[in-house]
Amino acid sequence: MSIADRPLIFLRHDSSEALNSFKTTFGHDFQIAAFQSDEAAAEALANLDIRPAALFVLVDNPSARTEFPLLAKARVSHPDLLKILLGDSIPLSLLVNLLDLGQVDRCFEQPVNPDLIRSHVLRAALAVQKMSGVAVQVAPSGADEVPAVLIVDDESAATKYLARQLEHMQDEFQVLCADHAEAALELMREQGDRIAVIMTDQRMPGMHGKELLDELRQSHPCTVRILTSAYGEVAVAMDAVNEGEIFRYQKKPWRAVDCLSLFREALARRRQLLSELNQTRSALDHQLEALYKTRTIQLLALEPLINEAAGLPVLASFLQALQTIKPLPANASHLRASLETDLEHTLIEQFCDLARHRLTQLMRMPGGTLSAATLQTDLQTIADAGDDIGEPQSVSACLAQALTTLLTASGQHWQHIVFSRPETGVEVAHVSLHMYTHLLAPLSRVSRPLLEQQVAFLLLHVASARLGCELKINGGQQLYTLTLSLPDTAETD
Amino acid sequence: MTPVPKKLRLYLTLGQRLFRDSLLFHLLLQEDIDLVGESDTGTETLKRLAAADPSVLIIEENLRDNDGLTIAEQALSLHPTLSILLISETTVSAGRLAIYLDAGIRAVVSKQQAMQELVKTLYYIRNGQVYVGAWQRQDTEASAVARAFDALSGREREVAQLIAHRVCIKDIADQLGVSCKTVHSYKDRIFAKLGFERLPELILFMKRHRNGAAV
Repeated sequence: MSIADRPLIFLRHDSSEALNSFKTTFGHDFQIAAFQSDEAAAEALANLDIRPAALFVLVDNPSARTEFPLLAKARVSHPDLLKILLGDSIPLSLLVNLLDLGQVDRCFEQPVNPDLIRSHVLRAALAVQKMSGVAVQVAPSGADEVPAVLIVDDESAATKYLARQLEHMQDEFQVLCADHAEAALELMREQGDRIAVIMTDQRMPGMHGKELLDELRQSHPCTVRILTSAYGEVAVAMDAVNEGEIFRYQKKPWRAVDCLSLFREALARRRQLLSELNQTRSALDHQLEALYKTRTIQLLALEPLINEAAGLPVLASFLQALQTIKPLPANASHLRASLETDLEHTLIEQFCDLARHRLTQLMRMPGGTLSAATLQTDLQTIADAGDDIGEPQSVSACLAQALTTLLTASGQHWQHIVFSRPETGVEVAHVSLHMYTHLLAPLSRVSRPLLEQQVAFLLLHVASARLGCELKINGGQQLYTLTLSLPDTAETD
Repeated sequence: MTPVPKKLRLYLTLGQRLFRDSLLFHLLLQEDIDLVGESDTGTETLKRLAAADPSVLIIEENLRDNDGLTIAEQALSLHPTLSILLISETTVSAGRLAIYLDAGIRAVVSKQQAMQELVKTLYYIRNGQVYVGAWQRQDTEASAVARAFDALSGREREVAQLIAHRVCIKDIADQLGVSCKTVHSYKDRIFAKLGFERLPELILFMKRHRNGAAV
């Protein structure tokens, strides 16, 4: 199913009025398959050829209902299917109960905001096009460490009491306490890796529980989030479910036994999240490594031209230099881009085209002179010319232009280059630059600046070899230091 | 005891000054948007992000110095709670959108879309939510407004036309022989029906769709 068509959704409804009003609102957005009985809906779900993006349950009188056999069934048969409950007014107890059973992912009261519902469904439809990753077995990290549960509430006496009870009851986890959201964030910053579960009160002075969980969902996605409150605010609970994607909603007052089983379930969820994450990561690394190897082999096509232009075999040192520069860890977006778009092909083709063009130009050029003074003059000339810069006329000018491109990509100016003459006597140009991604790193898009930067990095290697100066690249985290030992005396080709 | 909504702390990274200014003129009309920084390059953005501490970053895909998405990924690794809205050059396909969302981008708005869509999206993502609009049906909003206009009463259309010509309320009242209060209530109804919030939106709409300025 393509999202370009309207995504298909299954809708279980009680009355035709409700169905019609739903159709009026969403008829343009979704293909709606409507069912008036659980049996009919379940039968349709059993057809594995049709995969809806979401299952809507539209209830006329939610307060009268305690059980949703269809949702229960769908939870087991379609765990990844987005399950949405819509009703006039949803009692908090029903929402909490469905959440406990894991039977609902989103919940909305009428009148709904169509934008938001459409967004949730479209997002699910995009995720349906999930990639089949290679499963690689990995040991979950941090398995031997005792996890911690963090309880956040401004009533610190109650929190401490619960913490003490829980500590007496078990030794599977430690209990940490914070009496406001800011203190909780501080704890998360300090020992976030260890904190497996957070349970926070909603009403606190300063930042509220829902906001705290929103923030943690982004900064610590593997920490399982639980909201707790003494007030029956269904709107808050619904927002926390829909936006905060909380694991559970725990009503107050707390009972230690309930909390113990809740935390045990949350810890199991945490282990599941971590192992999924580890598995995805190693599958990603595994598949991307193979892609980099393929890229390297394809780049070998440039080798004869590079050798001729440089007078030395510098492709290997260029590739080695790239490998020392560490990009950010890969995520699913990079693999998706590599496997599902023509990125791999475009990257190699466009890089090779541009490199061939520049290398051919370079071969025809005279060497020119290269010393600290001429390099500085060339760099200044290029900086002054701005966008009006023409083609370089010598290899040394070409080197200056490649350097300028690398400086620009790093947000720096040529004056950041440090020229020095160490004891050994040869003049040295030295600068630290950023490189966020490169030819042998995760990519999600081939852009002009990327191609220009990568070709400039290659030309720098070629031009240095041609001019007889030594180039040293020391890679780091998304950065590298570049040391260019300039020829002893100014020489010409 | 609802918390006071936090101001949306906006950082804007767009290469072209004219484009950046136009967006800002419009966005800063919204009282709860605060501009905490702007840049025309990605590297400058990364340099200044920590000090500016924005909650939302709007960044375009095609920047001069680096790929906008690469910069966005760097920004996210440093500030995981930053909500990033990517401005794409053209309408993105479902496949591309899936890539952006996997990369942690909260929403994508293309340069082909209406200003109202950008503003709406900005509000939906302000607390870190992902928002996917009806991005492949760019004309739906415009045609919805056109339909809404057709649903205005004759008097409402008359008032809309006069307001768009910048005739003041008092003069409109005199011209139509009604009270200022009545004109104000017409005005409120017009804005509500068309889904506009500000005068420039109505003026632009009337010029485009009622004066035949749109081709």
